[in-house]
Amino acid sequence: MTENDKKIEEMSFEEALAALEQVVSSLDGGQVPLEESITLYERGEALRKHCEGRLKDAELKVEKIVAGADGQAKGTEPFETS
Amino acid sequence: MSVQIYTHPSSHRHVTPPGHPERVARIETIDRVLADAPYADLPRIEAPAVTDDQILRAHSSRYLDMIKENAPSDGWVSLDPDTHMSPGSLEASYHAAGSNVAAVEAVMGGKAKAAFCAVRPCGHHAERERAMGFCLFANIAIGALHAMDSLGAGRIAIMDFDVHHGNGTQDIFWADGRVMFSSTHQMPLFPGTGAEGETGEEDNIFNAPLAPNTGGREMRAAFENRVMPAIRAHEPDLIMISAGFDAHASDPLANLQWTADDFAWATERLCDLAGQLCDGRVVSTLEGGYDLDGLADSVAAHLDVLTAHAS
Repeated sequence: MTENDKKIEEMSFEEALAALEQVVSSLDGGQVPLEESITLYERGEALRKHCEGRLKDAELKVEKIVAGADGQAKGTEPFETS
Repeated sequence: MSVQIYTHPSSHRHVTPPGHPERVARIETIDRVLADAPYADLPRIEAPAVTDDQILRAHSSRYLDMIKENAPSDGWVSLDPDTHMSPGSLEASYHAAGSNVAAVEAVMGGKAKAAFCAVRPCGHHAERERAMGFCLFANIAIGALHAMDSLGAGRIAIMDFDVHHGNGTQDIFWADGRVMFSSTHQMPLFPGTGAEGETGEEDNIFNAPLAPNTGGREMRAAFENRVMPAIRAHEPDLIMISAGFDAHASDPLANLQWTADDFAWATERLCDLAGQLCDGRVVSTLEGGYDLDGLADSVAAHLDVLTAHAS
């Protein structure tokens, strides 16, 4: 399965970023047909939002670890965002 | 004087494959707008065919030969994934470009103050050597070159508010300082060109890319800060408009959020500039616009302003 086949919500941050870079490169390169360019742009938007979500998740996890290391006896379990 | 409307029946005979957005229904929609009051009273002129010599000001002979050779006797020939020719396409293309030639003759000759060419196929993506983006001949460029080479226009400003960058017009005038080309368009989107840094060999290109999901407010700022000062500084003898209506919020091929009022506002600013700079001379030609209701409303708004300007 390639990055293009995988559902965006199942992608890791690295996979989504690579797919986003591919989308941007295609749009900038002018090789995408007019009819397809809107679809590709919207895929890029979805990838960007997914990347932002994964980054936010990671930031929250880091905050939890820092808080845990600050003398509070809260343990080190991963932060759940939902 | 009133605004002249240039049409030709062959626009209906450029047939694209089923499901293609640049379809005959677009011109049928505009025909319905033009059949109703107050537009039914506007002078309608059948567009002549462009001559090969007029085409060759904008395209190479190799390109013109390629277009002629690809014209099919039945079915379709695809020049790229977007751009197709049916048996009626060659005739339609000759009259679409010819409408711009006739319109600039009327406006430069004082027979009309403004003109609108309601024709297809559209033209602003066609480069000197390449058909693309539904476009075969560079209609507006052919009109502008005719105005300069045969009618005495010294300088022309072309403003393109189609949602896609007018790469073809930019390509043809990249090193021709007589023409100032400005474009508002969504970026990123097809065709991938249109960055502010693309300025032309004569600093005659003024691109104003707009971010997806932006609307009239951002467009108006681009006009006021970038497009209008550049047109003013160019001191044109004629203002030409690549009037694509696919920046409309309901258009399926882009994400800008313009309304019919925004198209009216943009048209009004260009007509005001024409009044200040070149005795009001304006020639507008249809480019994109793929949501039929949005297209009808926007063309009507565009015509309302042109009509008021020309009267």
